[in-house]
Amino acid sequence: MDQPVSMSNHRTILHIDMNAFFASVEQANNPELCGRPIAVVGGHGRTVITTSSYEARARGVKTGMAIWEAKRACPELLIVVGDNKKYTHTSTRINGIFRDYTPEVEAFSIDESWLDVTHSLTIFGSAENIAYLIKARIKHLFGITCSIGIAPNKLLAKLASDMQKPDGLTVITPENVSRILEQMPIKELCGIGKKMQRHLNLMSIYTCGELGRCEESRLTRKFGIIGKRLKEMGQGIDNTPVVQFGKEDDVKSVGHSRTLERDIDDPAEIRRFLLQLSEMVGSRARRYNVSGRTIHLYVRYADFFSSWGKQTSLKHYINLSDEIYRAALGILNSVELEQPVRLLGISLSNLKHQAEQLPLFEDERKKLFATQAMDSINDRFGRMSVTFGSLLPGKEKAGSHVIPPSWRPDGVKNIDVQ
Amino acid sequence: MTTNSIRVAVVFGPGRVIKPVWFDLQNRKHAILETTYTWTDLKGSAKRLHFSVRDEGALYELTYNTAEQTWELNQIESY
Repeated sequence: MDQPVSMSNHRTILHIDMNAFFASVEQANNPELCGRPIAVVGGHGRTVITTSSYEARARGVKTGMAIWEAKRACPELLIVVGDNKKYTHTSTRINGIFRDYTPEVEAFSIDESWLDVTHSLTIFGSAENIAYLIKARIKHLFGITCSIGIAPNKLLAKLASDMQKPDGLTVITPENVSRILEQMPIKELCGIGKKMQRHLNLMSIYTCGELGRCEESRLTRKFGIIGKRLKEMGQGIDNTPVVQFGKEDDVKSVGHSRTLERDIDDPAEIRRFLLQLSEMVGSRARRYNVSGRTIHLYVRYADFFSSWGKQTSLKHYINLSDEIYRAALGILNSVELEQPVRLLGISLSNLKHQAEQLPLFEDERKKLFATQAMDSINDRFGRMSVTFGSLLPGKEKAGSHVIPPSWRPDGVKNIDVQ
Repeated sequence: MTTNSIRVAVVFGPGRVIKPVWFDLQNRKHAILETTYTWTDLKGSAKRLHFSVRDEGALYELTYNTAEQTWELNQIESY
């Protein structure tokens, strides 16, 4: 660890990253798995590894590997089918612990959060003290470890938490920002993906130091308005605030996707999953009183790497499941599928908060009342307690539900994962 | 395995702490040595509490449905 933190004129941000989250929860759940190489997979029929324990990683097991590939690297590997409910519950409780130290908590994903503790330092003494308290409580309650980064902004806090894993605590003080960034590869910065890295490498920019020194006009010419932001990232500047629960911008889209238990090419089965997804998107949109004009369909093929997404915009706003389904089906019918389908996703965007308006015509009114009755039964007895006849179990099982990166502990993004 | 309704002895302690102590399975009483993990979820509007517990030979998942006040055995994993 570097020097003690003294950031009186600066913000103090913590970034907390749960180490190998799903695998750690499974190891805490089953003592037999502790200290052993384990890999978590999405469902019984799926063969791609979602995440693995540090013991497995040390043996060369990586996320995205097929089970056979991982077993070749580590023959003792134990495969565990993930339980999303366990993970979302644990994440919600952990975010609750964070809020004991500051109300300014932003969940970045299910296993990462930022905390702005600038105004809590007088109560708890120091950011390191808060970090140690949080680590101890998470370890005691859930038996899992986390890596914490402390820095003057979100970008550097995330960078710091990535620097020491597992169970790390790294501090980047304002005084040592430039020293740390000078030789840091640009890919370590949150927001610089493989594509951006390739573009920057072509401009002979490999380290954050080089990015920070690059002329802004050169970056702007190549990347447009984000050129300025890129230069600031290279200099370790990030003024984005920690946005706490409930204060996020209005939700921009409502979507669901599902990986199928096995790859399918039967059009009837694909349509059935499309209807199911439309119902999931529609019921969530109705629960939060939003309707949208743009439907986006996403398809990933069996080879895992090729996919396409296409959208259509309608003249009017919709949130009824059958209307969403018809729009999505229209997109699907306009494309010839090249391979069996691995994953399907639908999202509704271009949203407006809906003012309740009773339809003029009898048939539409009946449809609305039937939908409302269906939603209230499902709210009480569980999702899909009442659903469309064509959604009754068919040939194919639905397979694993993925916790999307946009999952949050509460609000419209708190998706009820299975 | 399919879900089974079972008989569970539980201590409801202060601070809303719920601790399963033993359960009956196939006419045998299983003393719970440790609750390894707990989590909750919703089935419709009913809150369910899940407990991973272990006895001498296996790990079990017991689920308490707070609306129906029933206990179920969801999963067994032998060592």
